[in-house]
Amino acid sequence: MKNLILIFVFVLYGSAASAQDKGNVLIKNGTVLTITKGTLPETDVLVKDGKIAQIAKNIAAPQGVRVIDAKGLFVMPGIIDAHSHIALDAINEATSPVTAEVAESDAINPMQINIYRALGGGVTTIHALHGSANAIGGQCQILKLRYGTLDPDALKMEGAPRTIKFALGENPTRVHGGGNNIVPRTRMGVEFVIRKSFSDAKKYAQEWEAYNKNKLVKGFRGAPPVYNLRLETLAEILKGNITIHCHSYRADEIFMLLRVCKDFGIKKIVFQHVNEGFKVAPELAAYGAMASVFSDWWAYKFEVYYSTAYNAAILTRNGVVTSINSDDAEMMRHLYLEAGKTQKYGSLTDEEALALITINPAKQLGVESRIGSLEVGKDADIAIFKNHPLSIYGVPQYTIVDGTVRFDRANDPADMRLMVDPKQNFDEATFFDKGVDHCLDGTEFLFTNDKN
Amino acid sequence: MNRLFTNQWARIVFILLIGLCTFNLLWAQDETTIAPVGKSYALTNVTIIPSPGKKIEKGTVVMKDGLITAVGTSVTIPADAIIIKADSMYVYAGFIDGLSRTGVTKPKEEPATQRPKDPGNPPAEQAGITPQSDVRSELNSAEKSITELRNTGFTVSQVVPYGNFLPGSAAIILLGGKSPDGMVLINQSGLYSELTGARFVYPNTVMAVMAKWRELYKNASLTKSFQTSYASNRNGISRPGSDRVLEAFYPVIDQKIPVVFKAEKILDAQRVLTLRKDLGFSLVMADVKEGSPLINKIKSSGTKVFLSLDLPDEVKKDDKKTEKKEAAKTFAENEKEKLEKRKNEAIAQATAQASDFNKAGMVFGFSVLNAKTKDIQANLRRMIAAGLPEDVALAALTTNAAKLLSLDDRLGTIENGKIANLVVSDKPYFSEKAKVQYVFVDGNMYKMDTKAPAKPDGKTVAKGTWNYTTERSGGKIVIKDDNGSLSGTITSTIREGETELKDVSLDGSSLSFSYEFAMGGNTGKVEVVVKIDGDTFEGTMSVGKFGSFPIKGTRDPKSK
Amino acid sequence: MKKIQLIYGIATAALCALVFHLEAQNPKAKNGTFALTHATIETVTKGIISDGTVVISNGKITAVGNNIQPPAGAEVIDCKGLFIYPGMIDGGTNLGLSEIGADPRTQDFNEIGDVIPQMHALTAVNPNAVAIPITRVSGVTTVLAAPQGDLYAGTAALINLHGYTSEQMYAGFQGAVLIFPNTGRRGYFDRRTDDEIKKAADNALKKMSEVWNRAVQYQKIDSATKGNAGYYPEMQALLPVVKGEHPLLIEVNKAKDITAALKWVKDKKVKNVILTGVAEGWRVADDIAKAKIPVITGGILELPVRDYDRYDQAYANAGQMAKAGVKVAIRSGENGNQNFRNLPYHAGFAVAYGMDKMEALKAITIVPAEIFGVADKLGSIETGKTANLFVCDGDPFEPKTQIKQVFIEGWQIPLVSRQTQMYDEFLKREPGVNKR
Repeated sequence: MKNLILIFVFVLYGSAASAQDKGNVLIKNGTVLTITKGTLPETDVLVKDGKIAQIAKNIAAPQGVRVIDAKGLFVMPGIIDAHSHIALDAINEATSPVTAEVAESDAINPMQINIYRALGGGVTTIHALHGSANAIGGQCQILKLRYGTLDPDALKMEGAPRTIKFALGENPTRVHGGGNNIVPRTRMGVEFVIRKSFSDAKKYAQEWEAYNKNKLVKGFRGAPPVYNLRLETLAEILKGNITIHCHSYRADEIFMLLRVCKDFGIKKIVFQHVNEGFKVAPELAAYGAMASVFSDWWAYKFEVYYSTAYNAAILTRNGVVTSINSDDAEMMRHLYLEAGKTQKYGSLTDEEALALITINPAKQLGVESRIGSLEVGKDADIAIFKNHPLSIYGVPQYTIVDGTVRFDRANDPADMRLMVDPKQNFDEATFFDKGVDHCLDGTEFLFTNDKN
Repeated sequence: MNRLFTNQWARIVFILLIGLCTFNLLWAQDETTIAPVGKSYALTNVTIIPSPGKKIEKGTVVMKDGLITAVGTSVTIPADAIIIKADSMYVYAGFIDGLSRTGVTKPKEEPATQRPKDPGNPPAEQAGITPQSDVRSELNSAEKSITELRNTGFTVSQVVPYGNFLPGSAAIILLGGKSPDGMVLINQSGLYSELTGARFVYPNTVMAVMAKWRELYKNASLTKSFQTSYASNRNGISRPGSDRVLEAFYPVIDQKIPVVFKAEKILDAQRVLTLRKDLGFSLVMADVKEGSPLINKIKSSGTKVFLSLDLPDEVKKDDKKTEKKEAAKTFAENEKEKLEKRKNEAIAQATAQASDFNKAGMVFGFSVLNAKTKDIQANLRRMIAAGLPEDVALAALTTNAAKLLSLDDRLGTIENGKIANLVVSDKPYFSEKAKVQYVFVDGNMYKMDTKAPAKPDGKTVAKGTWNYTTERSGGKIVIKDDNGSLSGTITSTIREGETELKDVSLDGSSLSFSYEFAMGGNTGKVEVVVKIDGDTFEGTMSVGKFGSFPIKGTRDPKSK
Repeated sequence: MKKIQLIYGIATAALCALVFHLEAQNPKAKNGTFALTHATIETVTKGIISDGTVVISNGKITAVGNNIQPPAGAEVIDCKGLFIYPGMIDGGTNLGLSEIGADPRTQDFNEIGDVIPQMHALTAVNPNAVAIPITRVSGVTTVLAAPQGDLYAGTAALINLHGYTSEQMYAGFQGAVLIFPNTGRRGYFDRRTDDEIKKAADNALKKMSEVWNRAVQYQKIDSATKGNAGYYPEMQALLPVVKGEHPLLIEVNKAKDITAALKWVKDKKVKNVILTGVAEGWRVADDIAKAKIPVITGGILELPVRDYDRYDQAYANAGQMAKAGVKVAIRSGENGNQNFRNLPYHAGFAVAYGMDKMEALKAITIVPAEIFGVADKLGSIETGKTANLFVCDGDPFEPKTQIKQVFIEGWQIPLVSRQTQMYDEFLKREPGVNKR
């Protein structure tokens, strides 16, 4: 109940600062799964000002600091979902095959109940992605699940690198080629759209460079080039300031993008879903490309028909930095189970399996120095489990973001909504179809006449 | 015909009414306004509230040629003035609305167009990018909305064109006048915008709307400075083109006019504040409904705010509910209680918004966009009950609104020289049963049609099951009477199912009610007024702009 | 000498590789007599037997217990340190009826019409669906293949996941599916008004009742005319349901709808009913228990259906119903991505969030067998029952656990699926990055 009252205080006084609260807490006597530095039995973790200050046995509790008794519990870094669409009011700007200029940072919704539900699954950071309707989609946003604030900006992970969504295969070809008779309708078209966009951006950047140079010349009075936020953004990708996260399934299209990136000098690239990544694992490893995959999703459309649940294991064994993601508000609540499946499908070790949902996604997002493992100096994003997180019986008890307890299984009330619709109808219930990827959310209208 | 009546519902109604419409149109044209004899009025023996917190008892207000010419207790009334004895009445400066579409004609809905060829590059109009549009071309002095809003005491509105993203510029108009231009007080009072995307085409989502906003603004800045540079010396450089869309931003860039944003929900408001922070324009937010948590943010940004006069309905308390002991409650009862509590808190929070702004020392006005005019007075009373001082409520309607819209030299108070916009009510405006009696706009008088409140004559009984017929349809109306509180349902041969009746009241022998219905995805409102004579009734049924037609009914006597 | 050894070694290796290769290409199930020895046997119905033996012969379990001598000629499989469980039963899938979710040409579970009980799922089950081996190698040996759609959507059938014709796969149960009119939303994109939803549901409800009344009438005429009531395929298909020979599988999820369904069943005196889905069963669990109607609920891994529900409500639902005395089976509900192999994880999550572990195991073995009226054949490890079982190296709910053997109707199933084949091919791909 305490939490609820607190939330009302936020609502009434709208203190955005509350979201950035850097908490202090001492977690006593847990089995600490550091991920990068082994497993430490009966160990304490001290959090000061939102950072991990000390990991050791028998740390004395500083005065006034909340102590969580984790005896018999498992303490692990907060889970990171490298592919999510929660906490967003808009997922797809599906009107054009290239929409690099749009950004999820403009569509954050900090009040979605799915944020709290994700905390209930030990998730502390998500990569909130644009959808996959477009060959080049919108910019994405790394969010910390500081549920309790009404301020969308307070969810943004400070200083997190910029990322952008690309998409290959059926989704962009179906939306634009199939739906609107606009290139791309094939995987050939997808490659062309991307190459053309990069080429245009290159030219655009050169034009501006020339203009800015000329402007320094005394007496120059020429017209400025037209400002184009789309090309502006694409040019940032070419400069290496924005990382591509590419929705992809088939081996051929994955390989295609590797070649495009090589031609345009783009070094860091993360593939999303990559169901057939296992077929080109050596190529991915050689390029240094990373892969964020489903544990076992397949069969929901043709391009995922030739998938295997052994994908993560094959990629890992081939040296590709691999993570397991959800793309789904439900699945993200048990990414630890999804990671656990790699022990069935490919016999990964505990540490390898847990890395798939902690340090590896952190590397993919470029925030591995901040989160993804329990180390002194890192952000205090922590999930505390009853039973080992790779066990089916693992149940998150507390989820801590920046040292602030945002989920407390024993003490939180059932109703955790931050804002209530004053016109609420109490008889609303929504039943979802299971097993559809959410990358096309918001594009339903495009398929009203779809004869596929 | 298809162009006029694009949707199924409209077509059905049209077919039903095809014979009647012509009649109604002719009748409507017969209505003429009788011009006043003089242009001078004197309100006498009236309690004057010249500005919030001030009061002149038994005073006189004189108006001439659209201006207030005298205010006080010892005022000479000009010989040509029409004297209005306003004994025991109260006069206030006319109210000012910060955002609405009062008097703006709603464009006919375009027929469902074919899917655009290239949804990524639609024509600007389809994309909702028409900032160069002038709301004056969409104004109609005969719009019913003008009368409706004026009847609640409003005399001035900031109005904007219909549309989503960048529909055009706002104008401040008087709620009375013979022509669009005659109503306009300030043209181009702001550039109006909403964060709503276009249907099916770019920009469709809020992300694209925000991105496009930034891009347009940046390009407008660039072209503007290049045009300035070109204007200073035209020799030797290529001529800049003309671009109406970008040029519409120039006065915003020059800080000559603000951007007026609809910011109903808390996220809208925050996104709008983000745009302002990124681009630096001066901002007016209106239709604000969830602003309380953002007060500090709004205040520090220097944004001007108009709070919505729309409030969520109050939940009727169920008196019959007996309090059970906590332990005896089922899970469902407990849950429902908690949910209702939170819902009531949400309603209370919405109601307390104005008070929260006041407590934080924020100056604000009100906007009526999307507020039902019939609820405005009651909503103000609810806000006052939730802690908003009456003076502050009045200031928000008058002086503060005038200041926020830079009208305070001409409007907002009852002073010599100001525009003669006044509202006269029989009791203090914020008291329970206060009724507006007169409204003056620009010195023109509008007398309210103040009927006595509905009172049954004691003889006529409405209760029972009535079989009714209209020209094309029929059905059953069931009226229930619960100790004088009437309710009921209606069925129709052209619709399935039962519809709940609203506002059922019996005045003398006149029974009136309304109901809403949905057809083909649209909703419409039907208003019915009939005279009951024994077990029969006769009257009219009105369907919005489609006009009205006769209805007859007989009662099953056993059902009385 | 060394050279000879080397050549011999290479030859053996090549031969082995060839044999392995052939096996991998043609994985065939094997029939015969098997003795699984030294295993920990979870019989489900008769407790746990340590260091026990299960004998399989001629499709049946012929012996279970300690001190059992493997019959002569039996293939003995040493299961020391391993566990034997009855094959898991997923009581609601579209397995075999759908190959690829987004491709309608591969989907055979949703026929046109809303009064089509004469549409038989068993007809359309593809015995060679790629998902079948993928499902069975995880220990799920039996599933209900069910049609979907509106109202009387067709007739579902229970199938064993091995066989080359529908006849070979049929596991002895059929029931008519009724999709009860839903007053909930189908997703965020469902923008109908409350009134529209209610109206659609009311109309459907009316139609549903009318059809049922007609079926009852048909049954009377049929019995009066001794089976000569004429060719009414819908009515003929409902005949066994009206008589109570086939159950009516009522798919219903929202609390209010469940209550309405219970009332409808009572009013119409439907004799044999199974509720399926039942996502909000916990809200009306006492009423379901009182009505003595069994439930097949799931998936468990779902979001709560209301924004104010407790975050783990969907996980807890099965356990809460069981606690209230409802007979609960668990299904995976993973139709979209054909992941029926996740059935044990659905059950495991129910346990993690409050259900008794044994109840959860029963919910995917003996309880669905009972609900489908095939408990004499399936759902437990008992002498005389069909030999549907699997051997594993730990708790089958745990993702770490590996399946070591699967038997379906006594056939030893190769632990091969397209997904394992791709693992074998691609773990160390040849060639790697460089072809030469």
